[in-house]
Amino acid sequence: MTTLDWVVMIFTIVAIPSFGLWRGRGSKTVNQYLLAGKTMPWYAMGLSIMATQASAITFIATTGQAYVDGMRFVQFYFGLPVAMVILSATAVPIFHRSGVYTAYEYLEKRFDARTRALAAVVFLVQRGMAVGIAIYAPAIVMSVIFGWPDRFTTAIIGIVCVIYTTKGGIPAVTWTDVLQMSIIFSGLVLGLITVVSLMPAGISFGDAVYLAGAVGKLNAVDLKFDPGNRYNLWSGLIGGSFLALGYFGCDQSQVQRYLTGKSVSQSRLGLLFNAMAKVPMQFFILFVGAMVFVFFLFVPPPMLFDTTAAKAVSADRAYPGVEAKYQAAWERRKQAAFALNDARKVEDKPKLAAALGDYRSAQTDIDAARSTGIRLYEKSKHQKGYNDTNYIFMTFVTRYFPAGVVGLVIAVIFTAAMSSSSGELNSLAAVSVMDIYRRHFRRDATDHHYLLVSRWFTAGWGLWAVIFAQYAKNLGSLVEAVNQIGSFFYPVLLGVFILAFFFRRVQGGAAFWAMLVGEAAIVACALLTKIAFLWYNVIGALVVVVFGLLFSLLSEPRPAAANTL
Amino acid sequence: MSLPAEMRDTEPPPILGRWRNVNIAVLLWLAFLIFVFYRFTQYFS
Repeated sequence: MTTLDWVVMIFTIVAIPSFGLWRGRGSKTVNQYLLAGKTMPWYAMGLSIMATQASAITFIATTGQAYVDGMRFVQFYFGLPVAMVILSATAVPIFHRSGVYTAYEYLEKRFDARTRALAAVVFLVQRGMAVGIAIYAPAIVMSVIFGWPDRFTTAIIGIVCVIYTTKGGIPAVTWTDVLQMSIIFSGLVLGLITVVSLMPAGISFGDAVYLAGAVGKLNAVDLKFDPGNRYNLWSGLIGGSFLALGYFGCDQSQVQRYLTGKSVSQSRLGLLFNAMAKVPMQFFILFVGAMVFVFFLFVPPPMLFDTTAAKAVSADRAYPGVEAKYQAAWERRKQAAFALNDARKVEDKPKLAAALGDYRSAQTDIDAARSTGIRLYEKSKHQKGYNDTNYIFMTFVTRYFPAGVVGLVIAVIFTAAMSSSSGELNSLAAVSVMDIYRRHFRRDATDHHYLLVSRWFTAGWGLWAVIFAQYAKNLGSLVEAVNQIGSFFYPVLLGVFILAFFFRRVQGGAAFWAMLVGEAAIVACALLTKIAFLWYNVIGALVVVVFGLLFSLLSEPRPAAANTL
Repeated sequence: MSLPAEMRDTEPPPILGRWRNVNIAVLLWLAFLIFVFYRFTQYFS
């Protein structure tokens, strides 16, 4: 990195949280610390909700996903607007008017204390793991740039994040997110302009798009219904809707955002703003990843983007042969890409078909060589399922972006990670204090005591996140890992909230046992079937609803038999 | 199955008159995006 990069990076990292802390100053009560005193306008909530998702993972992993797998991942987000519409009409007014601090507090009002406690524990387990992944993601940046060990960088990021969250509470988190999202949008546009401007002479933007599409990197929509296919229109619309309903309707890190709204209308607008902006934003990020793929058609990419893995593999005796195959395949693909680009301009169909076949064949060869390299690494480490998706975008940024832009991108990634992690830590603290500590251990303490305890819980969860982050590197693509973890836990939360909102006859005992059955059903799906994880959201939620109704019917007292004597 | 009383609309949205109209507009936007992405996929593959 150049001096200019360092200046831009340090200024941005200091300025963004400072702005948030300044806007959110004066949190003297638990209500202000956890709910911002219910004073937030819709645009701040909407941007904050988006910023929580647009974490460092979004930049690092989603772009890498497009490089490897194309743009089909965008379908994952198709269910989100559907869920937002449903939640803005249901969960938002219900939670707002119930006057609760957490979503799970509502479950006690509606059912009983143990259902609330079970839901709170499910949330704490799920979000506790996800926050670890969120903290780990930017450590990748540092390991690529400076060669520092992941453990060291996750610890540093975690400590800074905890200090910032403990001090500011939800108002600081939200206002930080607002500024951060503005910078993220600017960074994305700048990123696309930069990658397109780095294409070789003779390759226009239109050519780049064509070359990406020719090997399936722009495959945004797949209409074929296949329960085993992770991403298609139907899994996105149906499974994605259920996942988004669970995430935005039952996850305290999101519910807490719209509980900070000035009114029900402001909170509803915040969610609907997110509904309209999220899908185009994801499409744009994936498109940047696809353009990075095109860039590497003409500039040799490393066989393995993770420098640590590349170093480990280079010691293998088979490595020189694999590397030579990879380089030869890349050279052939480059020539084929130029040939294809020329052929499409002269409108000679047979020539175009031949060039296209050659280009696709070269892509298959390079994919095969890369897979062999990955297998070599897996063999050397005695582990399976390794991939280096998370390293692709940052390798590109640090090697090829101009001075100043590198610092800005890295700063955005850092602040995004800290901001989203801080929101998650704040919600973990809220649930730990309100649903567990205050409800089961100390019910009549002062407001100041709960504020103090909230800060201690924030610090404790930060420590846990840093520890869990040490294992995040074994979870494959980070963005998929987060969503897979969510798909194991959100369905039961969603199911129990559906029972709470719409089935008034169902009581506490039935809801509690239905949640346990639902979780068992998801575990069974994961262990015994090949159903893609997005469908767990549908299956788990439906199992909870069906069994909740069934248990409710079975537990209803039977009318006394008429005395016929 | 019954709807909770807390779900009643008490404040109108700032645009389009009713919340139902706002919701329909959001869903139409989604349908438009899916259509555009589908055509995009077809065209470039």
